[in-house]
Amino acid sequence: MALSQELLDILACPKCKGDIHLNDTGDGLICDHCQLLYEVKDDIPIMLIDEAKPIEKDV
Amino acid sequence: MGIDNFADYYSRSIKEKNLRGLADNPDFELVETSLLKADLGALVKDKDAVFHQAAQAGVRASWGESFRIYTDTNILATQQLLEACKGGQVQKFIYASSSSVYGDTSDLPMTERSLPEPVSPYGVSKLAAEHLCRLYHRNFGVPTVSLRYFTVFGPRQRPDMAFHRFFKWALSDSPIAVYGDGEQSRDFTCVDDIVAANWLAYEKGGAGDIFNIGGGARITLNEAIQVIERIVGIPLEVQYQSVAKGDVRHTSADMSKAKQILGYHPKVSVEEGLQREYEWIRELVDRKPKRAMSEAAKLV
Repeated sequence: MALSQELLDILACPKCKGDIHLNDTGDGLICDHCQLLYEVKDDIPIMLIDEAKPIEKDV
Repeated sequence: MGIDNFADYYSRSIKEKNLRGLADNPDFELVETSLLKADLGALVKDKDAVFHQAAQAGVRASWGESFRIYTDTNILATQQLLEACKGGQVQKFIYASSSSVYGDTSDLPMTERSLPEPVSPYGVSKLAAEHLCRLYHRNFGVPTVSLRYFTVFGPRQRPDMAFHRFFKWALSDSPIAVYGDGEQSRDFTCVDDIVAANWLAYEKGGAGDIFNIGGGARITLNEAIQVIERIVGIPLEVQYQSVAKGDVRHTSADMSKAKQILGYHPKVSVEEGLQREYEWIRELVDRKPKRAMSEAAKLV
C-alpha cells in the first residue's frame, strides 16, 4: 500500500519543518533544503533525522 | 494515523510484530518519527482526536541518568502535542496517565480526589504531564481527558513487565523472580478494557476531566502466579528478591467516576486476560512449556 497523498501533504522534514516530496522510486522522501532522504520502509515513512541519508550529488 | 519513534527501550522486532494486525488496514497509516522533532501541527491538523499513549515507561529505570529521557518523552513531548492542538479541530485529547501518580498509600481504593504523591521519577513525569493537560484545557480550551491506567496487561504487553517475564520464564523452565514478598497487590487491567475506556473517553469524557481506569479486582502477585501456573500447566519455582525502589505496595482503583460518567465497566477478568497474554507470548516465542503437568507430577 503506497503512502496516501493526504499523508504526503502533511509530512514535513523534522529538521527544517519544510516540505518534502517522494523520490522517483517511491521509497524515500526528499527534503531539498536539507538535502536529506528519509526512507520509506514497508510503507512506513521514517521521519527521524538520525536515520536520514544525505543525498548524493551526481558528479 | 499512528506515530511512533520505535525507541530502543525494547526490541523493535516485537513492536513490528505488534503492528502486523494493522498492516492491511487501509484506514491506518504509520509515521515513524519523534514527537519532539515532527511538525505536530501538520500531523494533528484535521484530526478529530488525539490518543496520546506515547511515553517512556518503566518505574525502576526512571532513577539516575536516564531520567532525562522521561522528562523529554513524558513531559516535553506532551507539552508539544498540547501546543499543536491549541485552537485546532481536535474534539478530544486523551492522555494515558497512570496509577503511579498516586504513590504508596494505604488509603484504598484510590480516588481521583486523593492527593497524588508519586514515589518514582516515572510517576512524577506522568503527573507533570497530567497537570499540563489540565492547564492547556483551562487556559486554551484543549479538550483533554486524562485516564489513570492501573497496571495494564494482556497481549502485546511490554517485555519488561511482570506477567510477560513470568510467562517467558515459565516457558523456558526458569524460576520466576519476584521483587518483594509477592504479597504486593495490583488492580490489574486487561488492555481490552483500556481500549474500551479510551473510546468511552472520546465519546463521553468531559474536557479537563480525570478518570481511574482499573480492572475491577485487586489481587496479589502470588495469587497471579497461581493463575499463571494453572494456565501454563506446570508448577513454578519462585525466587523472591529485594523490593525495587519506586515500587508501591498496593494499588486499587475507585472507578465510581468512570462508571457513572463514561459508563465504563471492565469486562475481562485477570484469568481471562492472562490466558490471552499467554497465547500471544507462546506465538511470539514460538514455544511450549518444557515440562507438562503430568511429567512434573511424576517427579513428586
